[in-house]
Amino acid sequence: MSDKNRDGKRTARERMLEQRAADEAASKRRKKLIVGGAVLAVIAAAVVTGVVVQNQRSKPETPTAAPAGTIGDKNLVIPVGAANAPSVLTVYEDPRCPACGIFEREFAATIDQLEDAGKIYTNAHIVSFIDRAVPGKGSKNGANALACAQDAGHFRDFHDVLYRNQPDETSDAFGDKAVLLNLAKQVNGLDTPEFQACVNDNKFGGWVSAVQQDFDKSSYKSTPTVLLNGQPIYPKNGNDEISPANLVKWVDAANQGKQLGTAGSHGQSPAPTSTASEANNPSPSAG
Amino acid sequence: MAGPAAKPGDPTQPGDSAPGPAARRSAPVRTEWLGLAVRLGLAVVWGWAGLAKIADPAEAAQAVRAFEILPESLVKPVGYGLPFLELALALLLVTGLGVRLVAGVSALLLLTFIAGIASAWARGISIDCGCFGGGGHVDESQTKYLQEILRDTGFLLLAGWLLWRPRTKFSADGWLAS
Repeated sequence: MSDKNRDGKRTARERMLEQRAADEAASKRRKKLIVGGAVLAVIAAAVVTGVVVQNQRSKPETPTAAPAGTIGDKNLVIPVGAANAPSVLTVYEDPRCPACGIFEREFAATIDQLEDAGKIYTNAHIVSFIDRAVPGKGSKNGANALACAQDAGHFRDFHDVLYRNQPDETSDAFGDKAVLLNLAKQVNGLDTPEFQACVNDNKFGGWVSAVQQDFDKSSYKSTPTVLLNGQPIYPKNGNDEISPANLVKWVDAANQGKQLGTAGSHGQSPAPTSTASEANNPSPSAG
Repeated sequence: MAGPAAKPGDPTQPGDSAPGPAARRSAPVRTEWLGLAVRLGLAVVWGWAGLAKIADPAEAAQAVRAFEILPESLVKPVGYGLPFLELALALLLVTGLGVRLVAGVSALLLLTFIAGIASAWARGISIDCGCFGGGGHVDESQTKYLQEILRDTGFLLLAGWLLWRPRTKFSADGWLAS
C-alpha cells in the first residue's frame, strides 16, 4: 500500500464519519423541533380549551331568574322595609361569615325596628365567598335558601333565624339543605313544598353566583360591609364605633327634617306580585 | 451496577472487571432516577394547582382580579386558562415529553407567581394567592406572603433541576432518543 493510497482512504473514512455526525445532529435538531412544537401545541390547546370551557361553565353576571321583589339593574339586591324610607342601609353579608353573625346578633333587632318605623330601607347583598376559603357549600346553599325565602316573601324573618343559628365558620352545617329546611320551620308560613323544592333544587344558584360576581367587582373586600346612605359605618363611622345606640343616632341625624317612610312593614318585602306564590310553577318570571 | 459507593477508577473495587466505566455510568443513572422523582413531584404540584382552580370559574377569576395587576378584560381569560395551562404542564411532566422546555415554562410561570405575590405584599393589599384554589381578599392577619413565596421558590428549585438535568428515567424524551 502506498502512503498516498492510505491518505486517500483515511480522508474518505473521515468524510463518512463527518457526514454521519452531521446527519445525526440534523436528526437530533429535527426531533427537538418536533418535540418542542408538540409541547407548545399541547399547552396552547389546553389553554384555549380551558378558556372556552370555563366561559361556558361560568354563570352569567346577569341572572336568568331572580327572586321576586329583588331590585337594582340586575335584580341582585334584596330590599327590606319601606322603599320610601329616607335612609338606605346597604348590607353585604355572607351566610357563613362569622363577623356577619356577630353583627347580626348585635344589630338585627335594631335594624328591624328602624325598618318597621319607616326610617331605613335596607338593601341586602347576599354574597357567598366563604365557600372559596373554607371548604363547603354553606355560603351558596344558605344564599340560595335566603333567595327562596325572599321569593316567598319571608326574607327578613328567615335571615334573622339563619344568623341566630349560624354554625362555626369551619362547620358547613348550612351546606346541608336539610338543616336549612329545618330552620325554615321557625318562620311562619315559609315551610311550604315550593320553598323546599326551591332549596333542594338550588333554584337561584345562578342568581347567587351573579350577586357574588357583582361583589367581586365592587371595591368592597370583606363582609359585613355596612353603608348608611352610601357611607361605610362598620366597624366605624368616622371615629365613632358602631353600636345599636349609635346606629339609631346616625339614622335619626340623616333623616332630620325628612318625611319617614311607611311604617310597620314587619320586614315582609312588598308582597310578591309575581307568580312566586303560585303553586307548582317551576320558573316564576321574577324581576 | 456498581452502587452509590463506586468512584471512577477506584482500584479497591473488587470483582468488577471494568470498575471505571461502570462507575462513571452510575452517576447519570442516579441523576436520572432523581430527575424522575423531581419531574413527578412538579407534575403533582401543577396537577393539584390546576384541579383546585377549575370547579368555580368565578372564584378563579376573582383570585386573579384580587392581585389588582391585570386589567378587567384579562381577568377572566387568565383565570379560566391558567388552571388548564397548569394541567397541561402536569401532563407533559408525567409523560416526560420536552422536559427541558416544560421546565423552562414552569420556571417562568413560577417566577411570574412569585413576582405577583411580592407585588401584592409590597403594595400592602391583603389577599390569598389562590395558588391552590380559593384566593381573593382575606383579613390582613390571614396573609401568608412569605410562606407562599418560599413555597413557590421550592417549586422553582424543582423546575431549575429539570432545566439543568432534563434527562430522566421513563421519559418520552428518553424513548424518542433511543
